[in-house]
Amino acid sequence: MRVVVVEDSALLREGIVALLAENGIEVVAHAEDGPGLLRIVDGHKPDLAICDVRLPPTFTDEGIRAALEARRRHPGLAILILSAYVEPVYTGELLAAGDSGIGYLLKERVSEVRTFVDSVKRVAAGGTALDREVVSTLIADRNRSGNRAELEALTPRERETLELIAQGRTNAAIAREMVVTLGAVEKHVSNVFAKLELPAGEDDHRRVLAVLAFLRATGGQ
Amino acid sequence: MTDYGHDIDLRSVVRGAAFAPSLVLLTALIVIWAATGAGYFWPMWVALGLAIPTGLWLAVRWAWRRPRGATRRYAMQASISVVLVVTAVLVWAMSGGGFFWPVFPFVGLSVALALNPVFLRPGQRKLQNRVDELTRTRSGALNVQASELRRIERDLHDGAQARLVALSMQLGRAEERLADHPDSAALVRQAREEATAAIRELRDLARGIAPPVLADRGLVAAVEALAGRSTANVEVVGHLAHRLPPVVETAAYFVVAESLTNVVKHAPGARARVTLSQDGAMLVVEVADNGPGGADVTASGLTGLKQRVEALDGRLEVHSVAREGTVVWAVLPCE
Repeated sequence: MRVVVVEDSALLREGIVALLAENGIEVVAHAEDGPGLLRIVDGHKPDLAICDVRLPPTFTDEGIRAALEARRRHPGLAILILSAYVEPVYTGELLAAGDSGIGYLLKERVSEVRTFVDSVKRVAAGGTALDREVVSTLIADRNRSGNRAELEALTPRERETLELIAQGRTNAAIAREMVVTLGAVEKHVSNVFAKLELPAGEDDHRRVLAVLAFLRATGGQ
Repeated sequence: MTDYGHDIDLRSVVRGAAFAPSLVLLTALIVIWAATGAGYFWPMWVALGLAIPTGLWLAVRWAWRRPRGATRRYAMQASISVVLVVTAVLVWAMSGGGFFWPVFPFVGLSVALALNPVFLRPGQRKLQNRVDELTRTRSGALNVQASELRRIERDLHDGAQARLVALSMQLGRAEERLADHPDSAALVRQAREEATAAIRELRDLARGIAPPVLADRGLVAAVEALAGRSTANVEVVGHLAHRLPPVVETAAYFVVAESLTNVVKHAPGARARVTLSQDGAMLVVEVADNGPGGADVTASGLTGLKQRVEALDGRLEVHSVAREGTVVWAVLPCE
């Protein structure tokens, strides 16, 4: 797996590179701004770009723009955005950029090392990793749209399962997070899909897309 | 400050009420004059009689657009003087010329106009200068404050927050290495969770200043994001040629945010329309809905908005008629 990191704070950049190295993921290049990202992506042909949102010189949404441009030039490139905040406009733009190899995590998630490394591997392999706060924003939007009936039909455990699926987690990861058996997770998952009338897919990635499409169908960006 | 309400009223009075019947009357008189042998052209006196009030309306309307206070009073005096002198010259010309007597009202009114600033009490002039200066420095101070807040928000992000993220990441890595020492690992995890909580608090603090999308993409994008996330059916019409001062963007943003919250709360199911436009140096924000109307205009949310807008020398009005919907309308100077 070839990874590039774009982060303007040297402290964070070095930290992320070291953390990934400790977990067997090689960072082939790093940059500090948007043009730098485009340059190293063109040069190194990485599988995944991990990218901060606010980058010099504007310190606004430079990172999102550069990542989307890099993705446009290299359609196979997976993107994992690390951001200091959840902004529905940006997550919406990112989700609109394609349905594979997309991630948006709050920066502090890097401290949950194992989960973060899982997310990096999953996104690089074409999966999805959405921060739990992104998912709760999507659910709040869906709820506010007045279309509550389907979500309210879920039990608290099923609701929790839905959120973890939307974050892009696999059944094994969901079982670990909820501290239940794999069998229990499978049961929750099939209940969720039945109650929301979604096509149940074996494929982890397809079911994430189905759930996200459901959440974004009304309300949401 | 331009007075939009009066501007519209006067225009409709001048165009609708005065012009149309006047033209009908004049045409009728000219027909009568022609039918009765077309001698001395007496209808011109009627025309003059009709023109004087129209001229005065136009003069008052022009003066009313000047900034309130001494400037507006002086403009009023000047424009009315001009109308009077022009009237005198017309009367002179229509009555066959001869000795040019309009020179007397002309000289008299000019002297009065010239003496106006001299006779303005020195105290009043000083006061006027002071008000002008305070107005200027206050808007400067508010702008500085708004930019400072954005700078603080940026510093929080780049400084304290980046360090806290790096710290929590190092704690996370330490925790991984302490897998064989559960007690120490638990301690490190606690420290990591504290750091994460601090990051969250910093984020909430930064967001209260202004949502990131407003600073990043400007007012129209931020308002479109608000509309997209509102459960009300909201249409946004707006195009601004350039970015506005931060303090104006933030105030306008909160006007729209609060108004849309009110639409959802008090007019469920209503359609709303947000209009953002620039009229010269003014930003005009309008949020209109077709809900039940009858809003309590003294509600604390609206009062807070009014104060926020008035601090920028703007105006905020709420028109809420039962069964006709509610319009929140704000004008903000943006220079």
